Amino acid sequence: MAAEKSDLLQGTLDMLILKIVALGPVHGYGISLRIRQISKEVLQVQQGSLYPALHRLEKRGWLKSEWGESENGREAKFYHLSPKGRKQLEEEESNWQRLAGAVSEILRARATEAES
Amino acid sequence: MSRRPRDAQFDRELQYHIDRLTEEKVAAGVPPAEARRQAALEFGGKEQIQEEVRDVYRIAFVESATTNLRSALRFIRNSPAFAATVIATLALGIGANTAVFSALDAILLRPLPFPNGDQLMQLSQYIPKAKSSEPHVAPVRLEDWNRMNSTFQEITGYYTQDVSETSGDIPEKLTQGVVAPRFFSVWGIQPALGRGFARREDYLAGHIVAVISDQLWRRRFASDPNAIGKTLRVEGFTFSIVGVMPASFRFPDRTVDFWSPAIINVPISQAREATWFTVIGRLKPGVTLAQARADLATVQARLGKAYPKTDAALAVRIEPLKQVTVGGVRPSLWILFGAVSVLLLIACANIAALLLARTADRQREIAIRYSLGASRLSIVAQLLTEVLVLALAGSAVALALAIAASAAFRALAKDLPRIDEIALDARLVAYTISCAVITTVLCGLYPAVRATRRTLAGSLALSSRTQVSGGSPLQWLLVGMQVALAVTLLVGAGLLLRTFQELGRVSPGFDPDHVLTFRISANWGETANLNRMQQRVDRELDTLRHTPGVEGAATTLALPGIQWGVPGEFRMVEGTVDPNRKIIALPRVVSAGYFEAMHIPLLAGKACSADRPGGVVVNRRFAETYFAGRTFLGNHLAAVPANPYVPPAEIRGMVADAREQGLQREPEPTVYTCYSAPVPSPAIVVRTLGEPMAMAEVIRRKIHELEPNRSLYEVAPLEEHLHDSLAEHRLRAVLLTFFGLTAVSLACMGLYGTLGYIVSLRRREIGLRLAIGAVRKQIIGHVLREGLRASALGCVAGLILAAFSTRLLAGMLYGVGALDAATFAGVAALILLTGTMSALLPALRAARVDPMQALREE
Repeated sequence: MAAEKSDLLQGTLDMLILKIVALGPVHGYGISLRIRQISKEVLQVQQGSLYPALHRLEKRGWLKSEWGESENGREAKFYHLSPKGRKQLEEEESNWQRLAGAVSEILRARATEAES
Repeated sequence: MSRRPRDAQFDRELQYHIDRLTEEKVAAGVPPAEARRQAALEFGGKEQIQEEVRDVYRIAFVESATTNLRSALRFIRNSPAFAATVIATLALGIGANTAVFSALDAILLRPLPFPNGDQLMQLSQYIPKAKSSEPHVAPVRLEDWNRMNSTFQEITGYYTQDVSETSGDIPEKLTQGVVAPRFFSVWGIQPALGRGFARREDYLAGHIVAVISDQLWRRRFASDPNAIGKTLRVEGFTFSIVGVMPASFRFPDRTVDFWSPAIINVPISQAREATWFTVIGRLKPGVTLAQARADLATVQARLGKAYPKTDAALAVRIEPLKQVTVGGVRPSLWILFGAVSVLLLIACANIAALLLARTADRQREIAIRYSLGASRLSIVAQLLTEVLVLALAGSAVALALAIAASAAFRALAKDLPRIDEIALDARLVAYTISCAVITTVLCGLYPAVRATRRTLAGSLALSSRTQVSGGSPLQWLLVGMQVALAVTLLVGAGLLLRTFQELGRVSPGFDPDHVLTFRISANWGETANLNRMQQRVDRELDTLRHTPGVEGAATTLALPGIQWGVPGEFRMVEGTVDPNRKIIALPRVVSAGYFEAMHIPLLAGKACSADRPGGVVVNRRFAETYFAGRTFLGNHLAAVPANPYVPPAEIRGMVADAREQGLQREPEPTVYTCYSAPVPSPAIVVRTLGEPMAMAEVIRRKIHELEPNRSLYEVAPLEEHLHDSLAEHRLRAVLLTFFGLTAVSLACMGLYGTLGYIVSLRRREIGLRLAIGAVRKQIIGHVLREGLRASALGCVAGLILAAFSTRLLAGMLYGVGALDAATFAGVAALILLTGTMSALLPALRAARVDPMQALREE
């Protein structure tokens, strides 16, 4: 049912989470912070989407988690990428590249059309 | 991981996040209390997130099962026509299957309805060297077997006779089971009321007892518990009723009205030559059939030494009682079950084709589900759930159909053994449900796997409407398979129908029209004075012959046209043409007037005559087989081995061949012994001038005047007996034809559906063709050709399959070969015709496509 409620961007969110986690073990707060920072505040992840996604990815075996001490000395749940998750990320990245490439191809085509 | 610790952990995980947000705000200068408030607000509904995360972990199966169920119901609601088609097809397929299974289960698979029924064995005696011999066992030998063996718990025996009960105003014919000691304990069934027989009641002691059947109890005593102690008046003896058996106990058959002990201490029951009992034994637990056979062989060998004259030549045969009871209908039932299984397979193929078409339409939906992160397994599970829901709905209808069908089954085959035991129970429901599950997997799995095979990118790109090609080879394969299986069934049905038709056309050699048959009750005790018994029978015949409206009357040991007895060996007293050739012939016993009454022509010599008793008459086949044109009238025939009851007799005449052993059996060499009273109640055949049943009442009154203490029973026209004797043929032919026609309709539906789907898929192509100048006739031809190709190929495959499988019917056919060309050709023509007809509608629809509209649709 979670799948029905989420929008089409969910696939993208999963990919972004995998990407951030791939950079190194990180907790939920860290992920939302990184996405915000790296995207220069363009992308805001709602906690309401983030945590279900994290747990779903963990359940699929793409993420592993363990409790550890965080940078401020408190206990936090850290996620890291499993080998399966790494493969999934590569696949999704290349899919995304293809899709994005195709979209920009189309956009460029429009531009040339307008010029001529 | 259980839920509680996970919730707690998750709580900590979220709390950490909120704390960090709060710290962030405090660092930015917000006062701590306000920072906490803002952080909580920004974080959003904690409970809701918690709930959503829980959803992720919900016990996957139950959760997804209900989700799948819900989406399956939605799917069915959205496509009622499709759902109805699938449900109807399955109801038919599973319903027919369940109906036949209910009979198969009750008759063949279940143990007999007695405690540990599989321990029950039928024992009989036989002479290994003789072609046939008397299987019934003398009371003393039965007691020897029971005492000397080590593999049976107990052995007992019984015979039945029809007697007249005279305590009422009019004598009533009852069927009496005369039983050896230990009878009820071998069955393991106790009377529902009262008691069984005490040991001393097996001896003649002035007190004769009876245990009555449930039906007699209801009929005569209106289910009165005080029936115990009441009496039955039978043939001059008074029987006190000591018990009532439960309704389920109907042994040896449902006609038995009461059981009473055979009196075994009188001189007549001491002879080792006596042939009284059909013997039943109950094996000790764990004893195998082979052990029992070896044991009884040893026992009989010892008896052979002790009584060389009577026992040396005998051997013991042991068969499971169930085998003896139902062995005869086994092939028919398995054939029918095979037929309905093929039918179910056709239904599955049909639905698989529908689902393939359907899932192709749903590519987009599946693609979207993939992109939403559903796993392939969960999509397959969802598609299968849809089929399962349909299959379960179908099998619910099927169960109702099966119940209705089993009533029809009983009407069609009332003489089938154990037919009363067919009942709807948990086993049948379980069977139906497993049918549903199996069909789900059979017809749902492949379409589901196939539908989900495409990669994400691929299926997003695919849009069936832009494709020009349509219909996978697999769909055509499924259609072809349905046609092939339907052809196989139809050929089988055709052969059985032709058999039935041939049987109707057979000239039996006697004239069954206008013949009334019945018996007059009598007691085996009358055999003590054979002369008196014969005089009584002759007196009855005489009365009948002088009754107005009666053209002729005679007795016969067995009714003509109905299988009875086995051929036996004879010897020519004067010597044979070929001394090395054994004379094997069917022994029959008839009274004077039999050949005249049955319209069997006399060809030479004299028929049986009341003026000159004794002698034998042979049929033409006997004379041709064993005398080859030589004179034989006046020679003497004797039974082998010599039988004191059948002395050598003169051959007095020759009659034409008649199919005495059944319409489907060629006349065999037959020896008719002229004797009016071979048993106390021989069958009586009366040729009437008018309608036979109309004479029944007149005859009943005449006999009542002559013999007030005797009753008439089994009163029926001979035609009816012949009709009943073909019941199994009829059952097979009718059911197989029904299944065959159902199969053809399913196959046609499959062809129609597949073509219709392909036409809808190809609207664009057809539109294009029309636009560039194709004539509508060409389009019709094109679609028709495609349908015809599938049905023709399926038909050829089916005929080949039939050529192999009709061998299974070999023993059931008459007058038609297993490879009958007319049947094969007829079926092929029928299939091609119906195939063309079901292709016609989609073809016409294709031709009506509006090219402009079809092309614009994109």
